[in-house]
Amino acid sequence: MSQQNRIDGGQIDRTATLNFQFNERWMTAHPGDTLASALLANNVRLVGRSFKYHRPRGIFSAGSEEPNALVQLRKGAALEPNTRATTIEMFDGLYATSQNHRGSLERDILAVNDLLSPFLSAGFYYKTFMWPRAFWEKLYEPIIRAAAGLGRLSGQEDPDCYDKGFLHCDVLIIGAGAAGLAAALAAGRAGLKVILADEDFRMGGRLNAETFEVDGKDSASWALAALAELSAMANVRLMRRTTVYGAFDHGVYGALERMTDHLPDSGGKPRQVLWRIYSKRAILAGGATERSMAFGNNDRPGVMLAGAVRTYVNRFGVAPGRNVAVFTNNDDGLRTADDLRAKGINVTRVIDARKGDVVVNTTGRKGLHTVFLNGDRHVEADCLAVSGGWSPNVHLTCHHRGRPTWREDIAGFVPGGELPPGMAVAGAAAGTMTLAATLSQAHETAASIAADLGYSGATGAPPKADDETFATAPFWHVKESKHRAWVDLQNDVTTKDVTQSHREGFRSVEHLKRYTTLGMATDQGKTSNMLGLAVMADASGKTIPETGTTIFRPPYTPVPLGALAGRARGKNFRPTRLTPSHTWAAENGASFVETGAWMRAEWYARPGETGWRDSVDREVLATRQSVGICDVSTLGKIDIQGRDAAEFLNKVYANAFLKLPVGKVRYGLMLREDGTVYDDGTTARLGETHFVMTTTTANAVLVFRNLEFARQCLWPDLDVHLISTTDAWAQFSVAGPNSRALMQEIVDDLDLSNEAFPFMACTDCTVFGGTPARLFRISFSGELAYEIAVPARYGDAMIRAVMSVGKAFDLAPYGTEALGVMRIEKGHVAGNELNGQTDARMIGLQGMVSRKKDFIGAALLDRPEQVREDGLQLVGLRPVVTDVILTAGAHFLSPGDPEDMTHDQGWMTSVAYSPELGHSIGLGFLKRGAARHGENLRAYSPIRGQDIMVKVCSPHHLDPEGVRQRG
Amino acid sequence: MADFSLKAAPVLGGLDLSIGQCKLVERTDIALISAAVPLDGRTAFEARLKTEWNLDTPSPATSTRAGPMRAIPMTADQMMLAFEPGPTLTEASVHAALDSDAYTTTQTDAWVILELSGAGATTALERICPVDLDAEAFPVNGAARTTMEHLGVLIVRLGTDCFLLLSARSSAQSFLHAVEISCDWTAP
Repeated sequence: MSQQNRIDGGQIDRTATLNFQFNERWMTAHPGDTLASALLANNVRLVGRSFKYHRPRGIFSAGSEEPNALVQLRKGAALEPNTRATTIEMFDGLYATSQNHRGSLERDILAVNDLLSPFLSAGFYYKTFMWPRAFWEKLYEPIIRAAAGLGRLSGQEDPDCYDKGFLHCDVLIIGAGAAGLAAALAAGRAGLKVILADEDFRMGGRLNAETFEVDGKDSASWALAALAELSAMANVRLMRRTTVYGAFDHGVYGALERMTDHLPDSGGKPRQVLWRIYSKRAILAGGATERSMAFGNNDRPGVMLAGAVRTYVNRFGVAPGRNVAVFTNNDDGLRTADDLRAKGINVTRVIDARKGDVVVNTTGRKGLHTVFLNGDRHVEADCLAVSGGWSPNVHLTCHHRGRPTWREDIAGFVPGGELPPGMAVAGAAAGTMTLAATLSQAHETAASIAADLGYSGATGAPPKADDETFATAPFWHVKESKHRAWVDLQNDVTTKDVTQSHREGFRSVEHLKRYTTLGMATDQGKTSNMLGLAVMADASGKTIPETGTTIFRPPYTPVPLGALAGRARGKNFRPTRLTPSHTWAAENGASFVETGAWMRAEWYARPGETGWRDSVDREVLATRQSVGICDVSTLGKIDIQGRDAAEFLNKVYANAFLKLPVGKVRYGLMLREDGTVYDDGTTARLGETHFVMTTTTANAVLVFRNLEFARQCLWPDLDVHLISTTDAWAQFSVAGPNSRALMQEIVDDLDLSNEAFPFMACTDCTVFGGTPARLFRISFSGELAYEIAVPARYGDAMIRAVMSVGKAFDLAPYGTEALGVMRIEKGHVAGNELNGQTDARMIGLQGMVSRKKDFIGAALLDRPEQVREDGLQLVGLRPVVTDVILTAGAHFLSPGDPEDMTHDQGWMTSVAYSPELGHSIGLGFLKRGAARHGENLRAYSPIRGQDIMVKVCSPHHLDPEGVRQRG
Repeated sequence: MADFSLKAAPVLGGLDLSIGQCKLVERTDIALISAAVPLDGRTAFEARLKTEWNLDTPSPATSTRAGPMRAIPMTADQMMLAFEPGPTLTEASVHAALDSDAYTTTQTDAWVILELSGAGATTALERICPVDLDAEAFPVNGAARTTMEHLGVLIVRLGTDCFLLLSARSSAQSFLHAVEISCDWTAP
C-alpha cells in the first residue's frame, strides 16, 4: 500500500503526487514532504547503518540535527553523500540510496562489527593496531581506511555550479520560527532593512510542528499570515533554504542558500550560493534542539525525538508509528501523547522519568518492537518518542569564542555574556522556552534594535499566545540499564565509551571529543553533546557547567566545498590579463605563459620548428642580427606628477633622480627598508613635474602600493600624486641593429640619430601619421633598442602596422623566453637574481647607490652581512666543455671540495642557451665573484644529478662595453 | 614614412547584449582623465571645476555631474573626470583647462567601461559587488571603489537600475565574464 502511514492534516500538498526512489524502490510523496517524512509515510523505518558497529538505524529527528538518516542523494557525478534525509525537500524523480553498508542495507556484512563491539570501544585502534610494525601501512591502514567514513564520493567532477554573493541589512534575523517571525514583523514594520533567513524550505519553525494558537489562529496558519505580511514589505527579504552557518567579524555572517537543491534540474543555475551578509545588528532566533536520554539499545529504528514525532504528525501528516510509547523528563514531551491521540494514533504508554519510570532496554533488530521498563515491565511499540529536554541553539553566539552559561531551570546552556558584537538572542535560543514569552521577547528585541538604529516606525503589537507548561527535571542516563546506551548516534559513542575515556585520563571535554569522536561529523553533536557532557560530569563527580562545553566553530551545518569555491573553478579560478597585442599574437603562433595574471607570448612557433628552442633561438638571432619586437605592456607604469615629484623619486630610489633632465630616462634601484633590492626599472622625466616610472611586471602592484604609502604616510608634505597607467599604454620593445631604421619608418617627423635621440632619451611623439605615442630609447636586450608606447586602444593596430613595415627588415616578434635569453647574455638581473636577499653590492651596482642623500633602505646599507669581504657577487658562468647544458640552482664548489654547505660558494641563478655564442651560459652569485673571473669551479646539482666544470666570467656575456645599445 | 593610420579598437569590440533582465553595453564613447589636486591647491581646483563646467567636487561616496562632465571620487585628492567628448570638449581641452590647477592623466585607455542596466542589474551585482546597492545606501550618483571577483572596480550609479562599471582594460575579458555570469545566473 502506498504511503500507508499517511494520516490526515499536515502542510503538504495532497493535490500533487511526487515519485521518488530509495534504494531502487519507487515510492510516492507530496510537495511539502522531506525525504524523511516520505520514507516514514511509506513505512520505511530502516534507512542507514551506523558508523562503527553498522547497527540498523532509522529516522531520529526532523531537522538538520539528524544523526542517523544520512543518505546519498542523486547519482552519477551529482551524487552527494552524507545528506540528511530530514532536510531533503522532496521533488519528483528524487533518487536516494542508503550508505555505509557492505552488501544490502538489510544484510550488511559489516554488521559483524556489532558482535565485536567489546573490542571496538573508544580508542581501540590506538591500542589494537600496534604490531607488527610492518602491518601499519600495508595492512592496517588500508583496512581502516576502507572501513572508515560514511558515504562515498562519486570520484567525478562536480557537475553543478555554485556562486557567492553579498547582502546588506539593518538586522539579520536567523531563524524564522516563532521568535524570528515576531522579530521580523516588528523590525519590518518599523522600517528596518531586514533579512530573515531559515534553513527550512517552509518558514515557521516549531509553529508548523505544534498545535499552538497565536493571535487566535492555529500556529501554522499564523506563521503563514505573518509571512504574507512580511512578503509584502519591500524592506524585508525572506531567505528560505538558507542556513546562517557562521558569525564572523564586524557583523558579517556567512549563509548558505540552497537555490536548486529542491529541483529535479538546476537549469544551469547555481545549485547553492554562499552569501556574505553584512548586518548592523543580528537577532539569533535559532530555537532549540531536543535531546535524547541514554538507555539500553536506544538507537533502534523507531526510537525518535518526541518533538520530531510531533513534527511528522502535525506538519507532514505522517504517523511515525502506529503504537507509540513516550519517554520524557519534561512536560513538553507529554504533549506528544496528546498530539498523537488527537490524530488517532495509539499511545501504548507514557513513561515519565520524573515519576521514577524509565526505559531500560528495547528490542527489535531492524525496527523497534518492544520497550522494556524498570520493574520488569514492558510494552509493545513500533515507535518510542523520547524527550530529554531542549538545548538552546547557542552555536552562533559562541563563534567569537564566547562561552555559554548554564541554566538549571531548563537544564541547558544559554548564550553567555559575550556575544558577537551586534548580536541579540531571542526565543528558545535564549532559553525562553515557552511561546508567549518567546513572541514577546522577540518583539521587544526587534523594537529595541529599531530604536537603537534610529527607526521610529510603529512596530505594532506583539503576537498573543499562551505560555505552555515547560517543566523539566534533568535526567540523562538510565544507569540501571545493562545494555549499551548510545550517547552519540552518528559516531557510535556509548555511555561506556565516555566513562572509559574518563577512566583513561581524558578529563577535558575537548579530549573526550577527540578520543571518542563524540560530537564530530555532520551533526556536530547537536543531539548528543549535552548528553555526553552529562555522562562525563557524572563520571568525574562534577557538575555540567564545571565540565564545560567544547568550542563551537563555524559552520553550524555542513557547507559543501563547491560552495566555498563558488564560481572560481577551471579557467575562471582567477582573472587573466591580456596584452594589447594578444589577439595578433594568438593569430601568429604564440605560445602563452602565465606571468602573474598576465598571459604573455613566450615564443612564436614557425612552420618547420621542432620545439621551443628552435623558436627561441631564431627569435634571438633575428633580433641580434636585424630587429625584433616584443610586447612589454605588462611592465608596471606609474604616472607621477607634482611639484615635489623629483624629490619624491629621489627618496624612493637608491640612486639620484633629483636632477634627471626632462627628456631623459634613468635606470633606478628600489630598496626595502632593510637595504635589499626589491625592484628595478626605469623612470622617464616627461616634464618638470611629470615622470613616468616603469616597474617589473611582477612588482607593479607592490611598487605602486609602497609609493602610495610613502606619499601618504612618510612624506605627506610633498606635492606628489600617483596613478597607474599600466593598462593605458600598449608598449613594444623594438630591438636590434636595424631598430633605428625601422622606428624611423614608424614615428612622425622625429630625428632618431644617436646625436638627436641618444641612449636613455625619451619624448612624446606621434606614429603612423598622428597617433599619439611615447618613445623611450632604453634596452633590456643590450641591443640598440627603443620602447614605443601608444594608447592601448591602438595596440592591436600598432603591432599589425609595425609588423607590416618591418617586413623590409625581417622584423621578428619575440617572446619572454627570447627576452630572457638576451637579458642573461647581457647580464641584466631579473627575478631570479632579485630574490629578496639581494643587495646592490651583490649585483655590482653599489656605485649607483648614492651616499649623499637619504632614501628608503639607506639606513641599513652597511650591515655586517652586506659588507663582508667574502660576500656573494654576480658573475657569469660558461661550461668548460661547451656542449654541456648548465643547470639553474646548481651550487658552486671548488674542485676537490666535499659537497656540503661548509664548502658551498654560491649558486647558479639563471641559465640559457646563447645562440649567438653557441653554448649554454649562466648567471650566478659567487663568493668574491668579481675577483674570480677566469677561475674554474664545479657546478654541482644533486637534485638533477649534475656535476660539471664551469668557468667564471663577467656577467656581461655579450657587448660588455655597451657599444650596441649606445650605438 | 609608411602609409598607415592606426584604428582604435574597443577592448570588448563594442559589446552590446541583453541577458535576462539585464542589458550590458561597453561604453566606448566616454573619455576618462584623472585629476589630482595639488597640495594646498584645493580651493583653486574647486573653483576651476566650477568655472569650467559648473561641476561640484565629489564627496568620497558620491559622484557629481554637470552637463557632460562627471567627477568620480578616487582618493582624497584625486578624482576621475568622465565625459563624452564632443567638438569642443576633448581630452586635450580638459587637460588644458586644468593645466594650472590639477595634475591630469589620460585614463581612457586604462579602463574598460561597462554600463549595466535593467531590472535585474542590482540582483546580478549582488553576486559580485560587496557594496550595499540599496537605493538609500547607494543612491543615484553614488560611487565607490571596490573589487569584484578579485578585480578593482569603480562603480557609479547612473540611475535606479543603471550602473557604470570601470575596471582594468587588460582584464576586461575576465571582468565581462564575471558580470555576464552574474546576469545569467540571476536571470529569472
